[in-house]
Amino acid sequence: MDDRIITALGAVIGVPLLLGGYLWVTEQLLARLPRRVQPTVRPYVWVFPAVAFAFVFMVLPAINTVILSFLDRRGTTFVGLDNYVFFFTNPDTIASLKNNILWLVFFTGFSVIGGLLCAILFDRIRYETLAKTAVFLPLPISAVASSIIWKFMYQYDPPGAVQTGTLNAAIGTLGFDPVAWLIDSTTNNFALIFVGIWTATGFAMTIISASLKSIAAELLEAARVDGASELRVLWTIVVPLLLPTLTVVGTTLTIQALRVFDIPYVLTSGAYGTDVIASQMFTRLQNGQYDRASTVAVVLLVVIIPLMLINIRRFRQQEEIR
Amino acid sequence: MIDSTAKGRWHVIALCLAALLIVSACSQTPAGGTPSASGGATTGGTITLWTAWGGNELKTFRDVLKPFTDKTKIDVRITTVRDVAQLAINVEAGTTLPDIAGPPTPDKIKDWAAKSVMKPLESFLDMTAYTRDTYSALTTCASSDCIGIGVAGGKHYQLFVKTQVKGLFWYNAKVFKGDPPKTWDDLLKVPVSGNQKRFCVGLESGDASGWPATDMIENIVMRQSGADVYQKWIDGKQKWTSPEIKQAFQSFGQTVSADNVFGGPTTVLSTNFGRAGKPLFANPPGCLFLEQATFITNFFLEDYKDLKSVSDFNFFPHPSFNSANAGNIEGFADSFVMYNDTPQARELMKYLATADAQKIFVAAGGTLAANKTVTNFPDPIFKNANDMVAAAKNVLVDASDAMPADMNKAFWRATLEFTKDQSKIDSILQGLDQVQASSYK
Repeated sequence: MDDRIITALGAVIGVPLLLGGYLWVTEQLLARLPRRVQPTVRPYVWVFPAVAFAFVFMVLPAINTVILSFLDRRGTTFVGLDNYVFFFTNPDTIASLKNNILWLVFFTGFSVIGGLLCAILFDRIRYETLAKTAVFLPLPISAVASSIIWKFMYQYDPPGAVQTGTLNAAIGTLGFDPVAWLIDSTTNNFALIFVGIWTATGFAMTIISASLKSIAAELLEAARVDGASELRVLWTIVVPLLLPTLTVVGTTLTIQALRVFDIPYVLTSGAYGTDVIASQMFTRLQNGQYDRASTVAVVLLVVIIPLMLINIRRFRQQEEIR
Repeated sequence: MIDSTAKGRWHVIALCLAALLIVSACSQTPAGGTPSASGGATTGGTITLWTAWGGNELKTFRDVLKPFTDKTKIDVRITTVRDVAQLAINVEAGTTLPDIAGPPTPDKIKDWAAKSVMKPLESFLDMTAYTRDTYSALTTCASSDCIGIGVAGGKHYQLFVKTQVKGLFWYNAKVFKGDPPKTWDDLLKVPVSGNQKRFCVGLESGDASGWPATDMIENIVMRQSGADVYQKWIDGKQKWTSPEIKQAFQSFGQTVSADNVFGGPTTVLSTNFGRAGKPLFANPPGCLFLEQATFITNFFLEDYKDLKSVSDFNFFPHPSFNSANAGNIEGFADSFVMYNDTPQARELMKYLATADAQKIFVAAGGTLAANKTVTNFPDPIFKNANDMVAAAKNVLVDASDAMPADMNKAFWRATLEFTKDQSKIDSILQGLDQVQASSYK
């Protein structure tokens, strides 16, 4: 038998066994404690393996990353803020930062607004499920696969040749010259962001739609009886009630926009001014520049933490309402 | 009461022991082979081997290994690892290395030789025979370190098995019937008819886009400014903004200018390198020449199954810029390095150096061996390429591949930006100087 199968089996059987053994042993030990203390201690004992795991595999590496970002390439001498100075003065990283801001504004904005519009409009039609499915469909496709789909859509062939790219074939029938969507600096960033919007709108729509359904019909009815126009109902009742959901969707997508990597990597590999921060981290890691890669990671982390805090707070508020 | 707790405790211990047994069973390493006591040929056991080859190349490699496995019963476990950085990651992390794999990027050669990560060929191979039979440019090192061919501290670490020649100008023999241009100026004067363009170029290659252009620029540098400038450039001692390199970029620019290249620069950037030669054989042909390495014939035959070499397609050597630099050609050679010194690995390395092994690579087509006595080329074109390599004064390595990884990638990217807008040459070269200043640390 292949030793990889043995390893896999060992992991599948051994890990639960070990955990079971751990709980068994600790239960035996707990039994010796005074009965009054047991309920207080037990949760800590049970949660310990998970916390230890998270600590060893997430917290320690994160701390190590922060340390690495203050060391030189060999990871031996302290260089202070050198890596950060490099990060904020290097033209490549600055260009990437600018692109991430584009992603942040357009990807998040259009996905949330698109998702909201879809959710509200589809709510009023009879074939709602069908329409929602159509918008939702790109979501389960992995980012790499959808990028490859769009690579074909954006394909450029020389003017006069048969256009194999769907978009260029379409504008060709209207009599326009083909556009190099992914190379031309005026279109390429938006071409990439559009792929992101294409996949994320379905996500935004699904969450917003679920929240929309939970708005009490009586509330809307009452407003209508009072003579409020549909737009007024939408603007003063529906949207404010959806606000917590919109914030969660918005922050989630913002985090996605900040750490986007796969779409630019597959479509342009960051060439022609389309590079993003996450791919800066990837290339530097690949080049063995652990110092600079760590710096990028730390900057990303620092930017993302407040967004995560907002998200967590929102979740807590929702829990309290329930 | 006391009794049952004690019983429970035993249960727990038994369970933990069982779990431990299973876990430790997983971490067991596969058993090694049985080196014969007398030091003769090793039989049995396993070798772990990493290669970047996949598809047809991997199939050929398995054919190469078959006689070895049949004879020695050594099980060669091949893993296709495309990312050249993976080795470095394992070395850095101190985890297991494959017994045999390709070389690291040249910037690691000295360091890994010093740390004995790589094992020298001298420790097990008959070096007299190896250097006698292999293209001399792949084994000869004037000083004690030649990182481009894996020589450090006077010892050889890379065992070469296959060679490709870069910078050949391919043409459709039914379309271009004139004499091969001898100089770059002659090349630019070859008459072009109708809507045809002089060159076809394709630079798209996923996240390695731009590499074909780096080859083209390298071929210019070595002929315009010579082998010394070329080496200084690899070593990071030749500035990108220097007149030599700038001039080479400009000459390259002539081959991708809107006037000279099929479809214009945008087509160059969006065409995959493998498909770049398609217009050569289209009706009417879109261009006259495609500069690419020997392997490109495989792509011609993928696009047009009925093409015959020589009568349908052929190549001429890169035109020269300066007769003083004649005899410099660019080669690309596949090699293996031994990382774990096991009897099985030694056995395989010795086998791969033989003409018998390399004949199988050559018979599959599309490549030269590293062993110059292997000449069973299925395609007469490769005989010409072989003569070219054998006669070359210097087979120079791919400069971009020999540079540190971030320099190499910046070079790829720069060729794309330059092709897109040649007027930005100065700022592009200044950007490369900045990378150079920080990447050779």
